[in-house]
Amino acid sequence: GINAEYGGFVSIVMNKQTLDKIPFRLRTTKQEILLRIGVLTLIYIIAFSTRLFSVIRFESVIHEFDPYFNFRSTKYLVNEGFYNFINWFDSAAWYPLGRIVGGTVYPGLMFTAAAVYWIAHFFHVTLQIRNVCVLLAPFFASNTAIVTYFFAKEVSDSNGSGLVAAAMIAIVPGYISRSVAGSYDNEGIAIFALILTFYLWVKSVKTGSLFYSTLCALAYFYMVSAWGGYVFIINLIPMHVIALLLTGRYSNRLYIAYCTLYVLGTILAMQISFVGFQAVQSAEHMLALGTFGLLQLFVGVNWIKKHIGADLFRTFFRIAATIAIALFALALAIGQATGYISPWTGRFWTLLDPTYAKDHIPIIASVSEHQPTTWSSFFFDLHLLVFLLPAGLYFCFKKLTDANIFAILYGITSVYFAGVMVRLMLVLAPISCVLSSIAVSHTLDTYLKFFKGNKGKKEEFPAQKEVGLVMVAGLSVLLILYVFHCTWVTSEAYSSPSIVLAAKQPDGSRLIFDDFREAYWWLRQNTEPDARVMSWWDYGYQISAMANRTVLVDNNTWNNSHIALVGKAFASNEDAAYEIMRQLDVDYVLVIFGGLTGYASDDINKFLWMVRIGGSTDPNIQESDYFTPSGEFRVDSSGSTVLLNCLMYKLCYYRFGQVYTEKGRGSGYDRVRNVEIGNKDFDLDYLDESYTTQHWLVRIYKVRPPNNRG
Amino acid sequence: MESILQLFEVPFHFLRVPIVRLKTPTFPSFSPMLVFCFVFLTYFLVLSGIIYDVIIEPPSIGSSRDEATGSVKPIVFMKYRLNGQFIIEGLSAGMLFSIGGLGVIILHRSSQKLQSEKVRYLLILAGVLCVMVSYNLCILFLRNKIPGYQKSF
Repeated sequence: GINAEYGGFVSIVMNKQTLDKIPFRLRTTKQEILLRIGVLTLIYIIAFSTRLFSVIRFESVIHEFDPYFNFRSTKYLVNEGFYNFINWFDSAAWYPLGRIVGGTVYPGLMFTAAAVYWIAHFFHVTLQIRNVCVLLAPFFASNTAIVTYFFAKEVSDSNGSGLVAAAMIAIVPGYISRSVAGSYDNEGIAIFALILTFYLWVKSVKTGSLFYSTLCALAYFYMVSAWGGYVFIINLIPMHVIALLLTGRYSNRLYIAYCTLYVLGTILAMQISFVGFQAVQSAEHMLALGTFGLLQLFVGVNWIKKHIGADLFRTFFRIAATIAIALFALALAIGQATGYISPWTGRFWTLLDPTYAKDHIPIIASVSEHQPTTWSSFFFDLHLLVFLLPAGLYFCFKKLTDANIFAILYGITSVYFAGVMVRLMLVLAPISCVLSSIAVSHTLDTYLKFFKGNKGKKEEFPAQKEVGLVMVAGLSVLLILYVFHCTWVTSEAYSSPSIVLAAKQPDGSRLIFDDFREAYWWLRQNTEPDARVMSWWDYGYQISAMANRTVLVDNNTWNNSHIALVGKAFASNEDAAYEIMRQLDVDYVLVIFGGLTGYASDDINKFLWMVRIGGSTDPNIQESDYFTPSGEFRVDSSGSTVLLNCLMYKLCYYRFGQVYTEKGRGSGYDRVRNVEIGNKDFDLDYLDESYTTQHWLVRIYKVRPPNNRG
Repeated sequence: MESILQLFEVPFHFLRVPIVRLKTPTFPSFSPMLVFCFVFLTYFLVLSGIIYDVIIEPPSIGSSRDEATGSVKPIVFMKYRLNGQFIIEGLSAGMLFSIGGLGVIILHRSSQKLQSEKVRYLLILAGVLCVMVSYNLCILFLRNKIPGYQKSF
């Protein structure tokens, strides 16, 4: 027999005889489910394919800097195994200090990629580890779209809102920027874990079920293993709990959900060696602990109120509250004074006090991703969503529910944090999609009802149908423009691998600059295996991964004074720099030079940061020495003599004085600074030029051993 | 036990307790819409890039010298850079975002029950105008700032 619920066309195929018995049209609910599944499948495919621009244009290669360390770690994990990875001490980075990788890394990303690799190999699908790493972020972006569908559905109790949210987050540029194919970084899986945790939290608050709360704790554990941004979750959820308490929405469900999440989640978080006891000690986790205590107090007080009368309770409550607050303040003060509770670390303190990094920690201030956000970054990364976000907030405020309050809090805090740091636009993108989808879904609901009209009844107001049609059409046009914008932004702005540069020539053909990989492979094939390479910290991960040589400083930037030493070496003249290089056993020096090609992110443009960071530990290095008397940073003949004789200048411009770069200009014309360089004819006393790449982008020098005596 | 209680009574034999009407401070309750107005205001400020303005301290408006006459011309948009802005440019963009959001809210209000039909059509017109004008102006701003926007495909 046929299962009549299973659907018409399958049965038609199976048994022609029963054709007459089958209803020709599927029932409405089944149609809806089919439509929803179809839409979600399309969204899944789109989210994956829109991130493949750079794979198609160039090749399947890891981008940027940080992903190279993650790639090297994943290779180590896959080759050496789980326990060797957790206990890995990397002596090839931060020479001579080394780095305890096992304890200073968030391992979630490497484990996820290794798991995908091992599962695929188990089924004899022999993927290369590089391809797994490159395509992991788009795969997880598709999963994020599906989880956002569920999250938006929970928050707004409407399926349509979920679908719109999933469609928006599949292509929103704010999320794409950190999850293109090749961008093998923590954020690629962290956003998936974030939305999953939030979805399970909202579900557990709404149902009060221990099952969902435990799942939420497990999702939180995955998030802690994936990204340092888990601090956001462990502060947002307590804020939500407090907000619910303040608005009189306490319920047993909330109690069950939060207590389970806090206890299980904290214990699980402490399993990650990088977090360890910070989960109960550091100031960033104190709000969660405080809320846990507050919730117990609240429940206890309510229980007492039920058992004694109201008057007696009032007196008791006043005394108890005063004592409790005094005790809590005392505990906090003691904890802070003895140093048991460590204060907020610099990176997170910058979010609360944005001026902190500029004054105290130049390394944090120098990273361009950590700058505050401008209006154009907001509009570029969110487009239509900036208009729909406040409307979505309005709809949430109009009908407050437990889940709505969570969406509101998430929206407000992420807007503020995205305003403080450009990189955190990533955290704003999902909630802006969810809130905008609420606005879109509400509007479409109202106006489609106008358009369809009530069956048989008269119109509520004249031209109702036309108004509905115009509104729906207008909204559709806006959404189509959103898609155009997102695709353009993905294609032009966020799909560059940055390890390979491309430029359009006047005749339209593409010129590829593959200098970085050329130089790293030269290092790999032409230097001793234990050679040590000194370069600025930006390139450390790439040198470790591709050239497989020991580096002095890399992107982890955990030791400020070591970086300052390297900065001092680059900023001093050749004699002083040679002293430092001999102390550090440096064999090769690598610099990036863009003067021949016009590549603007080269070491001369970064030089002032080297001076600032070097000067933060050595007061002899003054930033003003490197400027002209009028305060300008110039490399031509009017530049300061200290600048024109420092190691970085000499290494970048060695032999450049004899090169003609542009028609009509003299020799040694720097195409980035747009001047002719000042110090043209000089020789290097302590270094020999080993290799300069095809377009002079990367220059490698060998440090000469000291002269023999006599 | 009795003697301890009597000890507590001693100060009040010569001190007179003043009559003080004190109320324990209660947490003021706000209506949701009031909170929403406050949230909307902070949204406007943050999206104008006010934190960027406070940290980086850009000029409120750029200036360039006119070659021929030597007079100083104001430049509103910091060109070629997405991560830089002038203060007035940021505030006007933030205003546009807020007006766009208000437009969507107005459109929702126009679909609810209202006193008269005239008000309904006025609200619809106002909402459509807000959304269309703010969206198109934002695109114009962006095109002005990044000349290559949506040109090279």
